Amino acid sequence: MKTLKLLPVDLSLLGLMLLCTTFAPLPKPKVHTIEISQMQFKPAALVVSAGDTLVFVNKDMVSHNATEQSGTSWKSPTLASGDSWRMAITKSAAYYCTFHPTMKGEVKVE
Amino acid sequence: MGILLYFALLAAPATAQESPKLSDAEVASVAVIANQIDIDQARLAQERSENEAVLQFAQTMINDHEAVIKQATDLVQKLGVTPQENAVGKQLQANAAKTAKMLQTKSGAAFDKAYVDNEVAYHQAVISAVKDLLIPESENEELRGLLESIVPALQAHLEHAQMLQNQLNEK
Ligand SMILES: [Cu+2]
Repeated sequence: MKTLKLLPVDLSLLGLMLLCTTFAPLPKPKVHTIEISQMQFKPAALVVSAGDTLVFVNKDMVSHNATEQSGTSWKSPTLASGDSWRMAITKSAAYYCTFHPTMKGEVKVE
Repeated sequence: MGILLYFALLAAPATAQESPKLSDAEVASVAVIANQIDIDQARLAQERSENEAVLQFAQTMINDHEAVIKQATDLVQKLGVTPQENAVGKQLQANAAKTAKMLQTKSGAAFDKAYVDNEVAYHQAVISAVKDLLIPESENEELRGLLESIVPALQAHLEHAQMLQNQLNEK
């Protein structure tokens, strides 16, 4: 009795799941966190999909920023200790911190 | 170079002996003085330099070393420690006064070169002082943790100064 009663529900759920998978659109954009600590972008190299979001979080006591290498494409505001900043990424970029030019990172959009 | 030698001489007997030569109150005082010296020299650079890269470097030195001083001040307050003057700090200040005097006689490209050369030497000296003297002498774990956490910043400043040194030498 019990099994009979549950079966139709299970089947319809399964059907719904199949339907969702079959008609699933493009993968959902992801959020990637880049931690800034000990004067480094972590991870310093990252592979993402176009439309993903980057979140820079400054865990150091000193201020940093993230600036696209050419300086013309994008630049975060000054991130004080504890600040974070997010951006949608559409193009591969090398970036650095203008306050500490030896701090470098890279994002590859695939 | 004098600072480096002085730190080396002072650190050597301290590591050979068991009892530390500096109290935490003295370590805190030296840490604040070492940061303040770099801020003062950066202010001098802001007055005398006209080189954009040097001015930007000086601004970073002011911002970063002020952040470190704030962190150190907050910590000693929390720990209830009053930073205490001592021979190491006084020697640092005496050396810094000499450097400032030397820098004040220079201007233009000669100033930039002298300032950046000194920043390279100073950060090298401070990094070894923090690693070989101040960290081993700290008894309080949080104080030691703070000192350890500033080493990467000092290292980045050193590399930045070396980068400027190369750029100035190419001119
Ligand atoms: Cu930075």
